Amino acid sequence: MATQTYDVFQVIADPSRRQMLQLLSEDSLTINALASSFDMSRPAVSKHVKILHSAGFISIQDIGRERYCILNHDGFAEVQEWIDYFDAFWKSKLKKLEALLNEKTGSHKL
Amino acid sequence: MKEIKHQFSFPHPPAVVWEYLTDAELLAQWLMPNDIKPVVGHRFQFKTKPRINFGFDGTVYCEVLEVVPNEKLVYTWKGGMSKEKPLLDTIVVWTLTPTAEGTILQLEHKGFKGLKNYLPYFIMNKGWAKIGKRLFKKMSAV
Repeated sequence: MATQTYDVFQVIADPSRRQMLQLLSEDSLTINALASSFDMSRPAVSKHVKILHSAGFISIQDIGRERYCILNHDGFAEVQEWIDYFDAFWKSKLKKLEALLNEKTGSHKL
Repeated sequence: MKEIKHQFSFPHPPAVVWEYLTDAELLAQWLMPNDIKPVVGHRFQFKTKPRINFGFDGTVYCEVLEVVPNEKLVYTWKGGMSKEKPLLDTIVVWTLTPTAEGTILQLEHKGFKGLKNYLPYFIMNKGWAKIGKRLFKKMSAV
């Protein structure tokens, strides 16, 4: 099977994958347990799991003899990106305000 | 960390700093073009650079939530690809504290939520696939 990269929106656009994410947001599950919730073949479930994994939505961990799917917060890193963006944004804007106010002090003393 | 906090000291009384936060022209000199009014319920916008690949068209939609002249100003800060579906739904809080030397201005930008918070929405919304495709097309076009 050819490897295909999916963007976040394509990943979530599929109803089965959305349902998997919902189940995994409640608890980590083995691939078998996950498969039992769906009316599809085990390989089909594995394919969805692979897609969710490659997009960073879940991580897969071997615990004992079982392979678990765990909701991964890296898939949600965009929040941190927003925060970093606005953090830098405000810092530079407030510096500008400071410069403006200093200018004001220079021209008319309080 | 889910919020941003910055503190600046200015050798000016709060009333002067307040003007720079609430007068549209003065605010535009250091922040962005806008149509702010320090009136609770007033809706206004900021225009900035779009970040299309991030799902942000460059317009920030705001609504004034709280006004205490020379002390406190709170407004919403929303953005995305449209007013109806903000990807970014946050709040900006300005607090001014008088000191012997002037004013301490504190900014808090909070309420950042991740995709995770939108999961129930994604799951519930059957129209999502369509929206997702449209968004994807828009983003790919840039």
